[in-house]
Amino acid sequence: MAPKLTRRTFLETATAVPALAQARVRPKRIAIVATIFRLQSHAQHIGDRFIVGYPFAGEWHKPNTQVVSMYVDQKPANDLSGDRARDFGFEVYPTIAGAMCCGGSRLAVDAVLIIGEHGEYPRNEKGQVLYPRYEFFDQVAKVFEAGGRAVPVYNDKALSYSFEKARTMRDTARRLKFPMLAGSSLPVTWRLPELELPLGCEIDDALMVGTGGSDAMDFHALEAMQCMLERRKGGERGVKSVQLIEGDAVWQAGEQGRWSKDLLRSALSRSDNLKGLTETDGRTQDMVGTGVLPTLVKDPWAYFIEYRDGLKATLLMLTDAVGDFNFAVKLKGQAEIQATQFFLSPDPNVTYSACLASKIERMIETGVAPYAVERTLLVSGILESCLDSRVKGHALVETPHLAVAYQAPRESQFCRS
Amino acid sequence: MPGNRPKLAAITTVYRKHSHTQHIVDRYLEGYGWNGTHHHPEMDLIALYVDQVGADDLSRDRATRFPAMKIYPTIREALTCGTSKLAVDGVVVVGEHGDYAKTPKGQVQYPRYRFFEEIAAVFRSSGRSVPMFNDKHLSWNWEWARKMYDTSKELGFAYMAGSSLAVTWRIPPVEFPADARVREALCICYGGVDSYDFHGLETIQCMVERRKGGETGVKWLQAYRGEKFWDACRDNVWPRELMNAALCRSHTLTPARAGFNDIFPSFDQMRRLAKDPVAYRYEHSDGLKCTMMLMNGLVRDFNFAAHLEGGVKPFSTQMYLPMPDGRATMANFFSPLCNNMEKMFLSGKPTYPIERTLLTTGLTAAGVDSLYAGQVRVDTPHLAIEYRAPAESTYWRT
Repeated sequence: MAPKLTRRTFLETATAVPALAQARVRPKRIAIVATIFRLQSHAQHIGDRFIVGYPFAGEWHKPNTQVVSMYVDQKPANDLSGDRARDFGFEVYPTIAGAMCCGGSRLAVDAVLIIGEHGEYPRNEKGQVLYPRYEFFDQVAKVFEAGGRAVPVYNDKALSYSFEKARTMRDTARRLKFPMLAGSSLPVTWRLPELELPLGCEIDDALMVGTGGSDAMDFHALEAMQCMLERRKGGERGVKSVQLIEGDAVWQAGEQGRWSKDLLRSALSRSDNLKGLTETDGRTQDMVGTGVLPTLVKDPWAYFIEYRDGLKATLLMLTDAVGDFNFAVKLKGQAEIQATQFFLSPDPNVTYSACLASKIERMIETGVAPYAVERTLLVSGILESCLDSRVKGHALVETPHLAVAYQAPRESQFCRS
Repeated sequence: MPGNRPKLAAITTVYRKHSHTQHIVDRYLEGYGWNGTHHHPEMDLIALYVDQVGADDLSRDRATRFPAMKIYPTIREALTCGTSKLAVDGVVVVGEHGDYAKTPKGQVQYPRYRFFEEIAAVFRSSGRSVPMFNDKHLSWNWEWARKMYDTSKELGFAYMAGSSLAVTWRIPPVEFPADARVREALCICYGGVDSYDFHGLETIQCMVERRKGGETGVKWLQAYRGEKFWDACRDNVWPRELMNAALCRSHTLTPARAGFNDIFPSFDQMRRLAKDPVAYRYEHSDGLKCTMMLMNGLVRDFNFAAHLEGGVKPFSTQMYLPMPDGRATMANFFSPLCNNMEKMFLSGKPTYPIERTLLTTGLTAAGVDSLYAGQVRVDTPHLAIEYRAPAESTYWRT
């Protein structure tokens, strides 16, 4: 039987062209639209991968891309965009349209990276930083519409702090028929160990434990959990309700069985960054077993998510207890809990964003996003609604607007080579 | 059944925060994360000897919190639990850290050989031997290391030793293909001579020992340092392509240009960044050539690369250590090390051969000797050590 020509084998075949022919392929021209471009900002460490390359699969990989323009919203004293433009022969334009058209009147790039993380922006009453991703996207889309042509767009992290704006972004991408990829590095980084849930599995219970503040790190944690849960039987069909609680209520909910101590113990068993007595004298700890958490964690937050198909999942943000992101899950019919750490490789290289860059590159090369933007749309909405719950006195919030349905990619997307 | 739980003694140099003793003994006392749960070893560590007790000592705190573990003033008393005969079923020797004199060649004289001899004396006088684990290399002194190995064979006890590098996570999680033909292998890592060089050597050895024909031993070694390192590098004494592959597995590559967080260095930039680099280049009896490089200032992790016959590009991975130097709070690479020891204490069988560490012990000493003699090539007929790798992989992946 002849091997079936899947998209992957086609791409492998298609890329196995002689070096000479490959060299003639014009580099894809990229515009970077950023809030800020300083050292270790997302725009710098993701954007640079398309300028100087990145480590991938044991090689220094040079994507066939050329950053030809940049727009940077804020340029503090440590701005690097001017240096980059000078060193790598592109221009920083004063407007997004200018960057998209490279100073001309028509779209002049093959892909756009919107990286609206970091920079000084106000927060709303929910504590969300009002990063202007929607506004950036809107200007990008206007250039597409004006010229009657659209190119692939990557949007870093959440689509927007507002689900309405996020949905408009997704709808615009559909209407103008351009591939769109979004989200965090966590779904695609290394996992310790390599846990992937079987497509179509049935999930009894799931829990993520994370670290850092809202609304920055909780988005990463929620998206990491979502990339696991979306593989369950029936596919993703959206979220029915959410609730965010804080303080002692978090421990009481654990006592009442609203979140599973067994899952938390399992998730914490994957951590390399326990705090408290581990920081004091180096010891290992069973924090659930010793009961130290309520005294150690000053400000615990629990995010409860009930999906439309009945699945319930919990995110615990326990910053005083743990310094990494760990997930535990109990599958139906299996006695054992499974757990893994989403590995955020250290400074300065933060190579997890190289894992992300390879996904962006694949979309730019193939015109197909390797996973659904709906994942990020849903997580953007989950986070906003959780923060709504908080400002409403930690009330349960029904989320009919989060009936976001999509299918997980058949192929695993996290880094394993 | 509680009655069947092995009893262990730990014989250690110093028990302070982030010492190897703290990492290892704490895992027996407190348990540790393993296979997605907080695992408690199915054995009891009941006796502890600590050679140096300083102001920062933790052993007294641990003995108070875990009263089943008693501290003894001598190794003999720890092994016999104060009686006249061996009273434990396994011994963990951790002779790393602590304040010990250096040899003229710069080797720290950790008393692993002395510890071993005292333990062996108890085995002999009791007419019974039990499994033993020795952390890191056997001894800084090759003759002593060889004697430790020979004594373990003579008394017939299960003996394991070595570094976490052989058993920790790999990123990506790949095993060296069994029976592969390999021409060149190298490790780029960091740290000092007679210290992390041993870890770099174990990184290479735990991989290449799986090659076709098995391990055959090492014929010679030559060290390169400073200017001679860069000369050798420029002359392609070792393959630049493998250096590049190993560096592309690092997570801590120092940016060669200001304003960048991850950028591949040119040769000149590497030269500017890596301070006083050291390489040990050596040839195995079957012709395989290996190079262990300490490149302080350039990386802070352990990266392996090899040329496999038939491979289109280098085979490479990182042996990942969550290092409690700000990158992590727990040195969890000791978890797979403890888990492998536990398997030996339960089954009486080592999970990987002591000969690996005998060879890397000899390579470490040969590296020190070569440096001390002015970076000359030293023949190593004493390292004609043959062994077979375990069929089963023993690195951390669950």
